[in-house]
Amino acid sequence: MSAVLRENTSTTWETAAQDVIVRAENIAKYFDVSPPWLNRVLERQQRAILHAVDGVSFEIKRGETLSLVGESGCGKSTVARLLVGLYTPTHGRINFFGRDLREMNSARGRGLRQKLQMIFQDPYASLNPRWRVADIIAEPLNAHGLMKDKHQVTARVDELLQQVRLAPADKTKYPHQFSGGQRQRLSIARALATKPEFLVCDEPTSALDVSVQAQVLNLMKDLQREMGLTYLFISHNLAVVHHISDRVGVMYLGKIVELASRTTLFNTPRHPYTRMLLDAIPDLEMSGRARTPVAGEVPNPLNPPSGCTFNPRCPYANDRCRVEVPLLKLYQHAGGETQAACHGVEEGRI
Amino acid sequence: MTLTAAPPRAVGSPSGSLLEVRNLRIEFPTRRGTLVAVDDISFAIGPGEVLGVVGESGAGKSLTGAAIIGLLEPPGRIAGGEILLAGRRIDNLPYDAMRRIRGREIGAIFQDPLTSLNPLYTVGDQLIETITTHLDLSAGKARTRAIELLASTGIPAPDRRIDHYPHQFSGGMRQRVVIALALAAEPKLLIADEPTTALDVSIQAQIISLLKKLCRDHGTAVMLVTHDMGVIAETADRVAVMYAGRIAEIGPVSDVIHRPQHPYTVGLMGSIPTFGHEKERLTQINGSMPRLTAIPSGCAFHPRCVHAFDRCPRERPGLLPAGSSMAACWLHDPASARRAAPQASAVSA
Repeated sequence: MSAVLRENTSTTWETAAQDVIVRAENIAKYFDVSPPWLNRVLERQQRAILHAVDGVSFEIKRGETLSLVGESGCGKSTVARLLVGLYTPTHGRINFFGRDLREMNSARGRGLRQKLQMIFQDPYASLNPRWRVADIIAEPLNAHGLMKDKHQVTARVDELLQQVRLAPADKTKYPHQFSGGQRQRLSIARALATKPEFLVCDEPTSALDVSVQAQVLNLMKDLQREMGLTYLFISHNLAVVHHISDRVGVMYLGKIVELASRTTLFNTPRHPYTRMLLDAIPDLEMSGRARTPVAGEVPNPLNPPSGCTFNPRCPYANDRCRVEVPLLKLYQHAGGETQAACHGVEEGRI
Repeated sequence: MTLTAAPPRAVGSPSGSLLEVRNLRIEFPTRRGTLVAVDDISFAIGPGEVLGVVGESGAGKSLTGAAIIGLLEPPGRIAGGEILLAGRRIDNLPYDAMRRIRGREIGAIFQDPLTSLNPLYTVGDQLIETITTHLDLSAGKARTRAIELLASTGIPAPDRRIDHYPHQFSGGMRQRVVIALALAAEPKLLIADEPTTALDVSIQAQIISLLKKLCRDHGTAVMLVTHDMGVIAETADRVAVMYAGRIAEIGPVSDVIHRPQHPYTVGLMGSIPTFGHEKERLTQINGSMPRLTAIPSGCAFHPRCVHAFDRCPRERPGLLPAGSSMAACWLHDPASARRAAPQASAVSA
């Protein structure tokens, strides 16, 4: 039994173990949201620094899907934007294929940018309404100067449209002639144009209806299998995350509070926040399980609570939680291994 | 057996319904002809009952709610059918008469709590205005009642919070204020249009349990319009599934979720990711909802339906009994009984 299992999984598992293609080391992004200088002087208002992402570390292996979940304002989209270079980290390092992401803007880093692409949330805002589909999809090819020959570009656009299950004839149309789900396919086709290895998907299906969401999720899984793509998937929808991920990180106020493989996280959640989130999901199976509403709300990120930022909502919080910031540590337990940032888990109270 | 028109008495509802919608049709006249956004739908809601209305964008679910409270935006208009509240017709009332019903007999909650509150008045002013408009109370008593209402929706320190402006509340707290407003005059019916869509999942759970508790305490009937099947599963007694301006299926909530009868409902349920069982692929319904300018003939779902046969593009099916639900599908017509009724497994994954 175990031998068979080993043979089946060895190709993905053992190579993947060495093959980390993205590594984020303690990255942080702070935004200065201070009132204007005159107000600070006249009204004695303080400078305000928003810690949108505050010390996040993770690795993504080739061919896997890492998801980040959390409520609005937890910093998950900021992480996505940091990884594709739309923001520069305030501190910390992002390594991509062992090279620093900051090299990306130099001549040497051009090749790096082709390998990572992004799919955005709103398919209505992310496509230029005045461009034809052919121009939209060919833009990355032209920007990187990958293909000089016009016929070659047209052939590639046709191929990409077919890969996302649209027809080559669609390339003369404008974005408004497509539905939301079809537009998101166009975004995917554009992202795939440069043959990337790593895609950052920021809430790719949250603007779509469920039946269309299913089409896009199925397509993303198919493409991952066909092309060996690696995904960072950002979502607030736990059911979607459960469906698509290999590993899941739960974020709360700019930090990862729990990171584990999908089955471990969903079957044996360790951090009290993860447990609350899972309890709060509406139950479609109607098994009679009472839904426990999470108490309280996300605190103001400009003025986060001291110690563990979850302590005001946490039923297990004690004095240590109110003072000392918990660090993300690895725990072995019956359900597998989990990285969690919780004093209660460390002390074995939870 | 009626074949083309829905039965005039709406389906599966107890007699003596609080709200009855009969053959409602909503049209939008445009330069390029008339668009039919809601096409001949009938349903009823009993006293204290929660009816869920689900469907994807453009199915006409919000328009149906807007028509019931008389807030259909022109040029949209009710082109046919009737709406009865406790046996009294309300779709043809003059503006002022409808104004007295809105708030007093039918309350409303909308998706975005920020746009349903006036940013220039404190929440107390807005609550007191609603209370004194509909109930015969002095300003002082109305304020006491407003504080009670805020307290009943779980807002901490309501006697202080009542003098705050909407922008001083968080999203979840604002939605609590909106619920307090909607229930201020103890209406018998509440139209809740996507009440939790703009909220995070943890806040969503709080709002849903609050809504359930308050409506049970007051015996308020609710028409809950949402695209979130999970919210419906938890909250509703019966559910109506809408597609392209028509009701595809209506029945008790557990039957519609576990034993869907219409091929669209089967596909819709299969396309929702769940935790219960591992699925490599989700069931997908190919294509997308038709535009209002090009609604297919006969059954509007037939171009996307894996079971469609020659009759489907020709004739529009009415609601036919299917299990303990009603489904608008020719597969449930006894005349085509030799065809297998759709099951979850029959839809290609």
